[in-house]
Amino acid sequence: MNPNIVETINVAREVAWLPWAVQYFFLIGLSYGAFLLSLPGIVFRRPTWGGVSRLALLGALVCGLSAPVALLADLHQPGRFWHFYAYFTPTSWMSWGAFFIPIYLGGLIVYGWLAFRPDLARHAASGGRLAGVAGTLAYGGHESRGALKAAALLAFVGAALVALYTGVEVAVVRARPLWNTPLLPVQFFITALAGATGLALVFNRFSSRDAAHTLTLSRVLAATQALALAIGALWLALGVSGLSPVHAKALAEVGPSANWQISAVWAAAATALTLLLAWKRPGSGLLVGLLALHSAWMMRWSIFIGGQEVPKTGAGYYSYSLPLGPEGLMGIVGTAGLWIFLFVLITSLLPLDRIAAGAADKAGV
Amino acid sequence: MKSCSDSSSLLASPSRRAFLRGVPVVTAAAAVAPTPAIAATGRHQWAMLVDVRKCIGCQACTVSCIQENGVPEGSFRTVVSTYSVKLTDSAQPAGTYVLPRLCNHCDNPPCIPVCPVGATYKRDDGIVAVDGDRCVGCAYCVQACPYDARFINHETNKADKCTFCAHRVDAGLLPACVETCVGGARIFGDINDPNGELARRLKEAQPQLKALKPELETSPRVFYIGLDERFSGKVEGEGTLWKPRNLQSTAHG
Ligand code: SF4
Ligand code: SF4
Repeated sequence: MNPNIVETINVAREVAWLPWAVQYFFLIGLSYGAFLLSLPGIVFRRPTWGGVSRLALLGALVCGLSAPVALLADLHQPGRFWHFYAYFTPTSWMSWGAFFIPIYLGGLIVYGWLAFRPDLARHAASGGRLAGVAGTLAYGGHESRGALKAAALLAFVGAALVALYTGVEVAVVRARPLWNTPLLPVQFFITALAGATGLALVFNRFSSRDAAHTLTLSRVLAATQALALAIGALWLALGVSGLSPVHAKALAEVGPSANWQISAVWAAAATALTLLLAWKRPGSGLLVGLLALHSAWMMRWSIFIGGQEVPKTGAGYYSYSLPLGPEGLMGIVGTAGLWIFLFVLITSLLPLDRIAAGAADKAGV
Repeated sequence: MKSCSDSSSLLASPSRRAFLRGVPVVTAAAAVAPTPAIAATGRHQWAMLVDVRKCIGCQACTVSCIQENGVPEGSFRTVVSTYSVKLTDSAQPAGTYVLPRLCNHCDNPPCIPVCPVGATYKRDDGIVAVDGDRCVGCAYCVQACPYDARFINHETNKADKCTFCAHRVDAGLLPACVETCVGGARIFGDINDPNGELARRLKEAQPQLKALKPELETSPRVFYIGLDERFSGKVEGEGTLWKPRNLQSTAHG
């Protein structure tokens, strides 16, 4: 900072992408990450992955269904969402995103239904809560591998497109050097996968508490944290060395801010701690799970809200304080509420234990 | 339509003139001075020249813009950013630097391609406009504008910014800020009209003509005379001391 210049009058611009946007990027990331974790057990039938993948699929569904609501709420004209479909604009990644989301969610819902159909039938047969509804939804409860694989493929293509667009949409904004780095989409992807692993660990803790599941997930988590640290180090190296001008600009933009220094140290420490625990104490499932979820959320909060605290022309930084209304806290509480509602709804039809146990669950057979 | 006349009867205060002498206009940048290309269409191509040397920082433009366009409290389409600058080569400790800011109506505007519904567009006369009936308020354009020229209007819930007072221009009037500028610092006109005031003044000022953030290649249609390099991008300095009321964001250094 140049101490010789003091800005006495300028406009402080408000954040225009609200906490709703943070929630959207967090939830859609968790969803596609969890979807990927669902593949080894459900599609490829890897023996150690069965329960893990089913818990992950539950996470993918709950997060995937709540994410679009957060996205819609971030629009200042939510009633006009149909304009996205009426006025497709190929130059805009956001416009493409409007088409990628339904591909992903459509594929995911069909895949989820096909994967859980036999469980729904088991639940109906066991006469548990909402057994009637489960029976109707099971629609015979057959397992159809071909259809399942086709739906998984569609969801996979959708997930890849969603991961691509959510990262690139932000990374192309040249006006914000912090966002405008090619590593950003990679960082979003890795932290999304880590957060999803964390979510599956939390689900596991509250269902079967299966030690083998915890071990499998801890391994994945350790790998994601190691990758996240490596990419973070690469980001910093590119910035400090000046080898990559865009990274140097990004670093120069936030480097002098004390808030950012704290955030950076916090993020690095949390990631290192998660790595250490997941690696050395793979049994600490709940703790590392929550840590990973926290890191994934914090990363998005810092990038989106923190990024918008940097004036593009004015001096210094704006400091954001979270408003309590729909523009702020309500965005976080609202999406959390919706998430819980969906979780309760799905687990009423398909209890968590039943999901974790899968075909091994003989309760109703 | 006539461009604003070159009225320099109201001069800057002596202290400010002294300051301006202390801030030499860097002429080394002349080689990269923006050239206002005369559009080949033969139609009007509106642009603005801001002569920073004549701006007295009175904010008459800021106020008239708010009045003319009904800009909600706490939001601004134009503002005169004001800086206190320590002087080293003068008896007085500090001088004031003022910089009128507005949408640059860029010829290569980053705000347009990002709009997911094509609501932001460039009119044939060069004015970058928002179709309020189409805008979904996604604020992607707000993020993409490198000049912080855009905001979400809390009354309309749509993207908002300076329109060069298109409604006035279409009726043969000058933008409100140009009309009210006390120092005659804002000159508006048609770069396609070789005999017009704007084209003439741009030509005269050519060696010292500058634009904000030229490295981004946005080709602004707002040109500056007397733009100090230290203020042409993100200003390195201590943050705003004054902020509009009712804002959730505050500013600090
Ligand atoms: S100044 Fe900003 S809003 Fe105006 S045309 Fe350029 S990019 Fe768009
Ligand atoms: S806020 Fe409106 S004008 Fe801006 S990008 Fe979104 S839809 Fe387009």
